[in-house]
Amino acid sequence: MIIQRLLTSAAFAVAAVPALAETVTIDLWTIDRPGEYHYVMAEEFMKANPDIIVNVRSVQFEDMVNDLARAVSTGDAPDVTYIDNPEVALFASRGLLLDMKPMIDKSSVIKPDQIYPGPLASVTYEGGIYGIPRGANTIALYYNADMYKAAGLDPDNPPKTWDELYAAAKALTKPEENIYGLAFSAVGTEEGTFQFLPWLQMAGGDFNNVNTPGAVTALNLWKQFIDEGLASPDTLIRGQWDSTGTFNAGSAAMSISGPWELPRMSEEAKFDYRVALLPAPSADAPRASALGEGDNVILANTDQPEAAFKFVEYMYSQMPRVWNEFGYMPAYPVDVADPKHAAAYAVFVESMKYARNRGPHAEWPKISKAVQDAIQSTLTGQAPAEQALADAQAKIDGVLGQ
Amino acid sequence: MLRFDRVFRDGGGFDTLLVMLALGYLVVFSAFPLIYNVVMSFQEVDLFSLASFDRPFVGWDNYSEVMGERVFTPIFWNTVQFVGLSVFFQLTIGFGLALFFQQDFPGATWLRGLFLAGWILPGLVVGAVWGWILAGDFGVLNYVLQSLGLIEGKIFWLSDPSVSLYSGIIANIWLGIPFNMILLSVGLAAIPADVYEAAELDGASRLHRFLTITLPLMRAQLGAVISLGVIFTLQQFDLFAALTRGGPSNASNVLQYWAWQLSFEEYRIGQGSVVSVLMILFVVIVAFVYVRSTRNEHAG
Repeated sequence: MIIQRLLTSAAFAVAAVPALAETVTIDLWTIDRPGEYHYVMAEEFMKANPDIIVNVRSVQFEDMVNDLARAVSTGDAPDVTYIDNPEVALFASRGLLLDMKPMIDKSSVIKPDQIYPGPLASVTYEGGIYGIPRGANTIALYYNADMYKAAGLDPDNPPKTWDELYAAAKALTKPEENIYGLAFSAVGTEEGTFQFLPWLQMAGGDFNNVNTPGAVTALNLWKQFIDEGLASPDTLIRGQWDSTGTFNAGSAAMSISGPWELPRMSEEAKFDYRVALLPAPSADAPRASALGEGDNVILANTDQPEAAFKFVEYMYSQMPRVWNEFGYMPAYPVDVADPKHAAAYAVFVESMKYARNRGPHAEWPKISKAVQDAIQSTLTGQAPAEQALADAQAKIDGVLGQ
Repeated sequence: MLRFDRVFRDGGGFDTLLVMLALGYLVVFSAFPLIYNVVMSFQEVDLFSLASFDRPFVGWDNYSEVMGERVFTPIFWNTVQFVGLSVFFQLTIGFGLALFFQQDFPGATWLRGLFLAGWILPGLVVGAVWGWILAGDFGVLNYVLQSLGLIEGKIFWLSDPSVSLYSGIIANIWLGIPFNMILLSVGLAAIPADVYEAAELDGASRLHRFLTITLPLMRAQLGAVISLGVIFTLQQFDLFAALTRGGPSNASNVLQYWAWQLSFEEYRIGQGSVVSVLMILFVVIVAFVYVRSTRNEHAG
């Protein structure tokens, strides 16, 4: 206790020094490396605002939640940080993030109604707005048009429904040449949930309602892909990046992944690759897609809320640049002049309209784990989809009931 | 003051100081985390109450919750298999190699040294290399087995739930052999050559010499190597992180990895601590055996 008080007063003493000199220092944590988004933003912002100093520190993506929680409890948390979108609710629910709503209402820069519904939902918690998306991403279906032609399929007419996806995967699978029809990820981590949730949502369910007939159909279709050899069994232990690696190498004819694949794909893939919207259960079913990327948030106990918000505003205003310079989808509609990978970009922009949030829920990791367990136990044949999803529902109900 | 000075130089003062230093280190870096872990296993802990002691006590709730998990029993038996098979094969192969390199042939010591290369590699690197070897579609092992005509289809070493645990075991055995071999080599070198000569003169066969001289004289080393093997195997975390992440569907999950998943993926830190406590209990038993076997060494 005493030590804590000493530390806090020491922190105040340190913070007081720059205030006397009329410059303000804000600490920023990021998962970026020097030269990437947050470093560039901080530098430009400091140039435009000589009275504000932004100290940037890199944290590993996997360590961000743990490091942040520890920093908050020891009292040396940053003023502004990056958080992956499903974790905003986790921190907001514990009162650790600043509700920016009052400042946003007065802001001439940030207009929440511009933001796509998915990204906006991910930062909204009980009526407050606890973060501003720095960008977004989503998933879609990549396909190898050359293989489509070779298999007698029409590359201008990619699968739109699950049945068509299955038929295409079957036609494209060539075991003797080591080619799978489809690559995706059912790995037992957050990535598995990320990939499955849109399937669940398109079929009428959501994170709080996983035991639906549509979810059973989706999970059984995933199982069919693996059991019939249309997708590699390694799908169960492989993330999206490695799965799409097999697509780039020509070992899979289609792949479900996001825009972050494009820079590597444009270098490695020696074929005509194209992108289509994620297939839906039927032609008239509602669409859904995953929502990735994270948010710029301000910690509740910051001593420089104005400067921090000014910085967040600046980053928000730079949204038109994020696609070409940093490879994220814009989180609100912007005009991107001469976008890179133009055809793919157009599909991902369309897909962004359907991007839906994971949660939001303060106990998201536990909900996500229940979904991962259902996927994995169905796909390994340990339990039928109905039972696996019923188990998951029971666990999720337990979490939601708390 | 003077008296203190004398005690410090000539009396037991200096000894006490040294003992206190070692003890202090143990208390701060071993006992405190251990006790903290045990305390947390009786509390409701999440990520945000990690730094304060002021957390609700929940009695044995965490324990019953962990034991009641459907995956507890499979993960427990996975751990038993992982430890048992790893230690058995590390020991037998390591001992075999140690005996082999004890023979006098050109380059024996050099070759033995080369074996250590595997041991100094970090677990994550070993995991990555074995990941390439064991990969299902384009793995080296499948290619070799198929070229030799030993298997027809591919074996999905890492993603087939019936084999993924054994893939982890194979990689861990490979990782542990050099350590076993070096420790046992040292023991073998300490056995005086004249004992063997005398036995040979008396007409004892090779097998006889091994059973009646080598094994009994190596008892302390074997005990130590087995105990350390069990402890190292229970610590083996990186391999799982790199190879299978305990999957698919917990088929290759072991207690140490599960403890981490509970604490830092699901943020159920109280329950994660329970798993750690269970492992501590087991390691304490093993450590007891280890201490006993090294004490005999001094007595003998």
